[in-house]
Amino acid sequence: MSQAIIQTTTSQEETSAIRTENLTKKFGRVHALAGLNLNVAEGAVYALVGPNGAGKTTAIKILMNIFGPTHGRAQVLGMESTQIAGRAFTSIGYVSENQQLPEWMRVGGLLAYLRPFYPSWDRDLEKELVKQFDLPLDRKLRHLSRGMRMKAALASALAYHPKLIVLDEPFTGLDPLVRDELIEGLLDRAEESTIFISSHDLAEIESFASHVGYLEDGRLRLSEELAVLVERFREVEVTLNAPPTAPSKAPDSWLHVSASAAVVRFVESRFDRERTSGEVRNLFGEVRDITYSPMSLRSIFLAMAKAGRNAQ
Amino acid sequence: MKQVWHIFRKDVRHYWREGAVSILLMAAFAWNEVRRWNPADAYVFGFNRFLSTGLPIILLMLSWWLVVARVVQGESLVGDRQFWITRPYEWKKLLAAKVLFVLLFVNLPLLIADVFLLARAGFMPGAYVRGLLWMQVPILLFLLLPVAALATVTATVVQMLLALLAIALYMIGIAALSSEIPSADFSSGTEDLQGAVLIGTCLAVLMWQYHQRRTLRSRWVLGGAAVVVLFMIVVTPYRQLVAREYPQFDASRGLPLRLELRPIETPVTREDYYDGNDVEIQIPLNVSGVANESIVRVNGVMSVIESPAGPRWDTGWQSNGVTLFPGQKRTEITLNLKRKIYDRIKMLPVRIRLSLALTVFLDKDQQKFVVPRGEFVMPGVGRCAVRSEYTNLIHCRSALRQPASLLVTTDISETTCPATQFDDALAAHGTMAHDWNSNADSGPEFSSVQSFDLNPTVDDRYGDSGPSARGICRGTPLILSRPEFLQRGRIELEFNGLRLLDYRGGIGQLGPIVLRGR
Repeated sequence: MSQAIIQTTTSQEETSAIRTENLTKKFGRVHALAGLNLNVAEGAVYALVGPNGAGKTTAIKILMNIFGPTHGRAQVLGMESTQIAGRAFTSIGYVSENQQLPEWMRVGGLLAYLRPFYPSWDRDLEKELVKQFDLPLDRKLRHLSRGMRMKAALASALAYHPKLIVLDEPFTGLDPLVRDELIEGLLDRAEESTIFISSHDLAEIESFASHVGYLEDGRLRLSEELAVLVERFREVEVTLNAPPTAPSKAPDSWLHVSASAAVVRFVESRFDRERTSGEVRNLFGEVRDITYSPMSLRSIFLAMAKAGRNAQ
Repeated sequence: MKQVWHIFRKDVRHYWREGAVSILLMAAFAWNEVRRWNPADAYVFGFNRFLSTGLPIILLMLSWWLVVARVVQGESLVGDRQFWITRPYEWKKLLAAKVLFVLLFVNLPLLIADVFLLARAGFMPGAYVRGLLWMQVPILLFLLLPVAALATVTATVVQMLLALLAIALYMIGIAALSSEIPSADFSSGTEDLQGAVLIGTCLAVLMWQYHQRRTLRSRWVLGGAAVVVLFMIVVTPYRQLVAREYPQFDASRGLPLRLELRPIETPVTREDYYDGNDVEIQIPLNVSGVANESIVRVNGVMSVIESPAGPRWDTGWQSNGVTLFPGQKRTEITLNLKRKIYDRIKMLPVRIRLSLALTVFLDKDQQKFVVPRGEFVMPGVGRCAVRSEYTNLIHCRSALRQPASLLVTTDISETTCPATQFDDALAAHGTMAHDWNSNADSGPEFSSVQSFDLNPTVDDRYGDSGPSARGICRGTPLILSRPEFLQRGRIELEFNGLRLLDYRGGIGQLGPIVLRGR
């Protein structure tokens, strides 16, 4: 039996680009991460979302071995995160919103400087990225706008075909046009790489992520395929024949239940048309009408965040 | 190696200005060194002396520190936002690139300047390759490594300057503390161990930071080393160390010399003070028994002064430097006493117990040498010439270091220098003058050419108007020798019934004015 478990684990590790087990990070008494268990499959575009202070950046910095974990472990491309250094970064492209670039360098100089570090550096791809991002090669990084700097950083992290691209809040403070350019640049690489991205920008994430994880207070509240997530959340509006007479206990999967006259609204987090409909009829008897509205990722996470706060 | 070279070239592109400034200052230093060989420079004093000697070295060191700080902080090891920490840098190669930069922009220019200085001073640089390379080691260990370690735990040059300021304050505090601890200024105590702790810590922090980037912990380690050194200074049993280093001479096997109190010739009638917390007491002694071919150096003195009124003062070990040669008849031992103690007991008859820490040297390899004309080679010393700007003496330049031990002895009655209108009658035959150069330290040395004077003086004319020496000129016979360490030991002396006022030192010096007379 135990052998079977081990085999399963090994198999998972082999196909995971990122895998964490009970990953914990404490800064003094503050738990930035509290037992994070994460599994990012190879080839996924995984978006780690969550409110400020949820622990997204801390998790990424542990994965990149910028910090060490307090407890638990993390594996990145099959390597222990604490061993990631030097040559390991030839397979990883990391870009962060607050990364300090060598600002004295020109864009062309930065690319030329980084080129020899990577055996797989692709000059044609470099040229393509420069063109795609419209990068001014002769301008110093310190003279670039924030968006241009991000694009330069991303170009320098994509030109060597990394197996894993890790992006920490890459869209923060960027105008929509630059965001689109960055996303486009990323999507062009999505087939050959695993992309792990942390972001506040749920609308943008929704447009290209394949998987999503929701981190809150250092804990992963959910982690699943985006399509499945979107499919299982619905805004439900129930029109009754008469106002509900007495408060009834709603199923756990219903979030934000509210009633106004003869209309009851809630967010169903385990949507299945037949089951949800059955639960509604069990609770309210005959109803005049039920409508199910699909939710945006933003609405889903707002609902979850509010539910989390209410639970606390 | 490819990555080392690649990072190095990037650093050259970015920090060539800092490197160029350092190289220019190095060139200025070399030019200034050559200029300082000019005889007139020996007689420059005060601020001008600082400008000609101290300032070039200070500027050069600052430029080196700037080079080290900038190049290390180019890939800052402090913080978690630097782009390079998630790039395929290998820490050993990054460190090697930084070391290469420092070697090429600090050590290589210094080496070239030292080769130039040697050649300019008339030495064959090829004969000193090993010594030239060895000269770089103390520079690296004592001047560059600590700054490099500091640069690894600071993010900017400003931060590093603040850290240097804190270190300067720490060192001032250490010096002040040492001066308050009895015997600490004489005994070397744990200095070597302290140096090893600091250098070892700097090296460890440098490696650790490059390997792990644990800045906070590294800072604690550096701070911890500073505390350990402080602790070592405070708890070192200096007296026991001196007692072990200088065991009591066994009188039954013969003492290296005999010392007796010499009666004072003119008692003190009145003294006026200048400000100062310490009072100098000079004990005049008659000397005898210094064996031929031996030299006795008084390295340290400890005195216990007891008065019938009660106060007892123990000075602890104080550094001295009196050297006693065969045939020498008189000397003086100087003690420093706290003013408030002195004032209480100066008129009372006191008992003084003196302990003298002595080193006995064997004066060997004596060889006669007659001073030639013009510039000449003095064996084992270097290139020398007679100078007569103010006094007649020999000025020498030696390669790499001054001779570790060189004694020049001359009978001043045999001088060949012409008499001047200021000269008294020539000294009696057998009036010996000495100049002993002994340099055993191994601290950082910037210049490969050391210049110094050989100017023998008569040793035992304290307080007297002894025979005047006309100095050394062409044809003056000298005896050159290289005293070697023979043994260390301690002798004890006790004098009763002394009135300290009579031994108050400092006649004609800044300090107290002491009037002697009947």
